[in-house]
Formats: sequence, structure tokens, C-alpha cells
Amino acid sequence: MCSSNSVVQAQKLVDQLRVEASMERIKISLTAADLVQYCQDHRRSDPLLTGIAASSNPFKDKKTCVLL
Amino acid sequence: MCDQTFVAVTFGPCDSCSKASPLMNIYIKNEPINYCSFCVEMMACQGLQKGETLASLKRECDNLKKKLEEERGKLNDVELHQVAEKTEVLGALSVKTRRVLKGHGNKVLCMDWCKDRRRLVSSSQDGKVIVWDAFTLNKEHGITLPCTWVMACAYAPSGCAVACGGLDNKCSVVPLSLDKTENLAAKKKSVAMHTNYVSGCTFTNSDMQLLTCSGDGTCALWDVESGQLLQSFHGHTADVLSLDLAPSETGNTFVSGGCDKKANVWDMRSGQNIQSFESHESDINCVKYYPSGDAFASASDDATCRFYDLRADREVAVYQKDSIIFGASTVDFSLSGRLLFAGYNDYTINAWDVLKGTRVSVLFGHENRISRVRVSPDGTALCSASWDNTLRIWA
Repeated sequence: MCSSNSVVQAQKLVDQLRVEASMERIKISLTAADLVQYCQDHRRSDPLLTGIAASSNPFKDKKTCVLL
Repeated sequence: MCDQTFVAVTFGPCDSCSKASPLMNIYIKNEPINYCSFCVEMMACQGLQKGETLASLKRECDNLKKKLEEERGKLNDVELHQVAEKTEVLGALSVKTRRVLKGHGNKVLCMDWCKDRRRLVSSSQDGKVIVWDAFTLNKEHGITLPCTWVMACAYAPSGCAVACGGLDNKCSVVPLSLDKTENLAAKKKSVAMHTNYVSGCTFTNSDMQLLTCSGDGTCALWDVESGQLLQSFHGHTADVLSLDLAPSETGNTFVSGGCDKKANVWDMRSGQNIQSFESHESDINCVKYYPSGDAFASASDDATCRFYDLRADREVAVYQKDSIIFGASTVDFSLSGRLLFAGYNDYTINAWDVLKGTRVSVLFGHENRISRVRVSPDGTALCSASWDNTLRIWA
């Protein structure tokens, strides 16, 4: 917000905005496609997404064993 | 010449005019300078280019802001969920509480996993920091800090130390010893010194450097061994509540979020604020990078979580529902980035489909606000810390 009366604040703000304005941006259609691709590439290695068998998940309880 | 009131930490002779007055502590090229406010203004006016005045600077400021909005708007050719239309719809998660970690005597404020995927550290309002083995529920270490509200804790990448900080305005590193009889608090080493509470901390890629954020509005990078300040990051205009380091492949940046409703991306080497996002309507409580490093999510008191694309430089998704009216305090992504777990002040954790923007599941169980959620390093489990004095492991 440029509501301050201070020259220092205004200069800092202008410098910061200049830096931000000079950034090279890419269209969302391209970047979003990359985000989706990343998800698809890694979905098999995501245990919370695909669920893994109780035997390989240390937190899930194994089947109870019955003492005969 | 009237200027803004400012919080003066020091009073003394000005470095420039030698008059005793409240001093503004500013940084010029990372060198601290203590000038009285009059000399600061004089210096700034001398720095003005020919023809610049305060009014012209303000005009340029407004123009640049408009230009930024336009540039960002031009790239908005499609919505994220439209691009994600072809991806499969997620079924409800079959995730439930597998462990409840009881032992803290008061609100658990923060937790962090160890890289070995089974240990975790948690800190609470009563000043206790506990290191747990999540498989066996064994408490391996307990450290009592002299301050209350330990709001930040982090596990070192080596697993040999933890960092913690809070209302003491410091962040300390405690080496973990295998000897159970040793008093760990005695070996505590203060690394970071802020002028207000420490709200978040994380080790960088090694045990040697610590990144902290604070209620004093700054973030800082410290050398653990010497306690020296390596870089400071100024730009937030209110308390900084959270930070997250970019995943290692993408380089030296981190994101921070705070009470000024802004999320800023910083270059760690230069201290420069490279990108800034302001679309939340209230304090940002937590920020977290997407696993690829090209985006990040934020949780806010305005009851929404938002997703920002760094390369397009804009917000690309908002995760909200009319039925969710309580603030979100914490977020974390699952390993593939498809799921976003968010903890809320209504005691629930919502799992969102990042790409489609829909809610996949709600996890109930805690009896008070969720303060932190973190997915384990191998993605098999989610740990949540809450004001109900417990932590839960969901898998």
C-alpha cells in the first residue's frame, strides 16, 4: 500500500515492485499441465493415495494371530 | 517533516548526526545502520533520482501494481481443475487413527518427522519438547525448556539434534544423546536471536544452518556452530507465522507467510524477496511447497487454503466450502502432491484433491484445534498435533 508519507518506504516499495514486475511468467495452461503430470508420475509411490497393504505399512496392525 | 511512527529498539547517538534520539535500525546492503529518523529521510531524499518526488514515487508504485495485475491476468488462460478434468476422481481415503501419542501436559503446538520415518519431535505450551518413536510409542528424549509456548520445533537432517524455539525469542539446537541419563537441556545451544517470538524453524539441507521466522516480521538464516546471522529477510509488515524450504532439487529459495496476509518467496543467498502473493483475506498460518517445488499451498484464518503456481506467479486454486467457517492452521501435501491435508480450528483435518479442488475426506478424532499436520518422509502416514495435548498418527 502506498499510503505512507515516508520517502524511504515508497522507494523500497518501488524497488520491490520493479523486481517483481521484471519476472518472466509462464501461462497457466503450461504450468498446470506440469503440476498434473507430476501428480500422475508419482501417484504409484504415494501410499496415502493408493493405500498399501497392512503387511508393509508399519502403522497398520497386522492380522491378529490366534494361539492354538 | 513528519514520518511514520516506528518501534524504536534502541535510543542513542545517531551514526550520522550524533544527536541522541530514538534510532531506526535499518540495513544497507546487509550492514546494520543506526540512524535517527530525520537522517534516514535525508539519506533517502538524496538517493532520489532527478525529478523524483514522493508523489511521483507513489504514482510509479500504483502503475507498477497495475502492470503486475495485468501481466498476471494475461496468463490466466485456463483453470487448474479444467486441466485436471481427465484425471481420475479420488475415492474417499481409507485412513484412520493408528496411534495416539499421549504424554504432553498441555497443547501440542508443533511437530516434525525425522528422516528415518519413525521418529518425530513435538513441542508444547508447557515448554516440553519430546522425541517419540512413532512405531512403539516410546518416548526417547524429553527436554524441558525454560520458556512456555514452544511454537517451533524441527528435526535435524542427520537425526542427531532438534531445534526448538518460541516465546523466549530464541531458537536453540539440542544435540540428542544416546545416553538416557544425560540432561539434554544442559547441552542446549542458543542459535537464533529475534526481537519477538519465534514462530517457525527448519534446518536447511544440513545440520549446519537454521532458518527461522519470527513475530518481529523477519526471517533469518543462522550458522548453527557460531550462532552468526548469515542472512536476514525483510519485507513482511507484520508477524511471520510460517516458512518452508523449497525441495532440494529446485534450489535456494523458501516461502514465508504471515499476519500481513502475504506469502513471500525469498532467495536465500541474496536475501531478496523475489515473489509476493496477496490474496488471502486474513493471517496466513502455514505455507508448504508442492513436492516438485513449482508451487506452494497456504492455510489461513479466512477458512480457506490456497494453491499458488510459482512459474505463473498467481493463485490457481482455492480450497473452501461454505460449511467450513473455522480458520485453517496447517497444511501438508502427500508424497505425489495430489492430496492436501489441512488442519482446522474446528478440530478436523480435511483432505483436498489438489488438482480438482474438491474435498476427498474429513478426518475426525481430535478434541481440540489442530496445530500441525505433517506427512511422514516416505508418505506412509500423516501425523497431526493438537491443542488436546495429543498427537495422532493416521495411516
